[in-house]
Amino acid sequence: MPHIATEMKKRSLILVTVDCLRADHVGFLGYPRPVTPNLDALAANSIVFSNAIVAGAPTYFSFPAILASRYPLALGRDVLGIAPNEPTLASALHEAGYATAAFLAGNPYLGRRFGYDQGFDSFQDFLTGGTLGEPASSDLAPQSGLSKLNRLIEAGSRRNPLSANAYDELYFWYCQWMSARQDIPMDKLRRYPAANVIVDQAQSWLSGLGDQPFFLWLHLMDPHHPYYPPAEALAALGLPRITARRARFLNSFWNRGDIGPQRLQRHRKEILSLYDAGVYWVDKQISRLVEALQPLQRWDETVLAVTADHGEAFLEHGDRYHSPTSLPEYLIRVPLLLRAPELSGRRLLEEPFSLIHLAPTLLEAVGVAAPDSFQGRSSWAQISAGTLPGGPVITECVDGCCNPIRPEDRLRPRLMAMREREFKLVINFREGRDYLYDLKNDPAETSPLPPGDHMRERGRLFQAARMHLQRTSDKHKTDLRLRALLRDLQQSGKMTAATQASRSVDEGRRASVRLM
Amino acid sequence: MTQYRTVHLPEELCAAAEKSVAEKFDSVEALIIFLLQEIVKNDPSQFDRAEEQMIEQRLKDLGYI
Repeated sequence: MPHIATEMKKRSLILVTVDCLRADHVGFLGYPRPVTPNLDALAANSIVFSNAIVAGAPTYFSFPAILASRYPLALGRDVLGIAPNEPTLASALHEAGYATAAFLAGNPYLGRRFGYDQGFDSFQDFLTGGTLGEPASSDLAPQSGLSKLNRLIEAGSRRNPLSANAYDELYFWYCQWMSARQDIPMDKLRRYPAANVIVDQAQSWLSGLGDQPFFLWLHLMDPHHPYYPPAEALAALGLPRITARRARFLNSFWNRGDIGPQRLQRHRKEILSLYDAGVYWVDKQISRLVEALQPLQRWDETVLAVTADHGEAFLEHGDRYHSPTSLPEYLIRVPLLLRAPELSGRRLLEEPFSLIHLAPTLLEAVGVAAPDSFQGRSSWAQISAGTLPGGPVITECVDGCCNPIRPEDRLRPRLMAMREREFKLVINFREGRDYLYDLKNDPAETSPLPPGDHMRERGRLFQAARMHLQRTSDKHKTDLRLRALLRDLQQSGKMTAATQASRSVDEGRRASVRLM
Repeated sequence: MTQYRTVHLPEELCAAAEKSVAEKFDSVEALIIFLLQEIVKNDPSQFDRAEEQMIEQRLKDLGYI
């Protein structure tokens, strides 16, 4: 059972997770554009991790580790989210007497459906509105008699590549012409609540708390595509010329599936500006949250962690967004800033730190014991002393699982990365191949080392991979796995669909059940 | 030909199950068959075993085991 250490006064905890925030796009880790002035100021008296590595990517493979300190495939790769009754950071603090609240900016993989509400007194996931992702070009097209004609033309154009390309090009520009006729403001184009909405909710909740220790989790989506930052953020970064209409065009262009990286490069700089403006807005709102704690006399007793669930691709290897088809640094390395009231000065920790250890570390920072089920271990004592243990950290996901709602998408080979400070081994089980990178000399992972090179490093990292698979096998957590599968069954509608099937079971051939 | 076996379940559990799923399943047998089919139909451990074998083979190739 979690307990408060008797010698320590109860401290409160705030965890801010930012969707898609890359480590190399925050000032306190060296980004030159001034997008995070407030976090940079906070970092001056915090522990800063320059190599914080997610345990899974994207969101649905990352958060089991952040909230429940459990590797994403440890319950079986067909299990999504937090299992019913699985101990989490929130449940441990709730049992220890904390008031708990989560305000999450509408990521569909972080809702009640996947168990993320467990342990929270108050849980707002903003999932009643729109969905993520840029609409397909067809969504922008007028729904009229022209649609039928359009489909006929499209079908005809697909007969050869040249006409198909011509059709795609014309159709894209036709959709742009149509959408440009509507003047929709940036705030209407955004698919999720901006960070100020989330912080408003958090402030309201905090103001009604009294003296009770609290745990507050905020998940902010502003850097997530489609990139529609508030106009104020663009103006602050000197980018007032990117209007809502321009942003709409840029997002549509960036989302094109019919053109290659070379053409997409044309607007990469502006897309990065939109992304950075989202980061700026997150920074500004975190500052508002901190300012709200001060008059409530809570800031001096609060531990704050700011991190991300994964990064984002901007054509570095020709890719966009954050699909789990590879595990490059820009997807798995995230910012991590840890602020505790007693810390003064900036402590930079450069050894890799896995977010599997974040939840137990935060629990120790506030004096609450971590649940036995956690696979990570607290590093609070070491990091307070300014050190981190060496050794590889591990990231895993299901290769190419871009739509985890479909069970068949989750039943695929694993993709995993073993990351040390200098070397990184990526194992692609679908291909049956592995790739070793020398991050010191090739930080952009442009070319893996030749297969016969660095055998000692390969051996060390393969041994770490083997140990990881043995330690995280699902066979020890069958109860959690079954509960999660049952929850998914109930939510998938299969239980209802099974009604008809059950009626067709041959009475004479049923298993006999003796009642006791 | 499918073989069947007898299993023993607590009476009160069966009664509760009959009550809670009466609208969806005709019987406790149908419910249990459905649940077991769903649980065993996707076995992710087949991937785990194949992945462990691949790693072991690479470690053998590297002379570690």
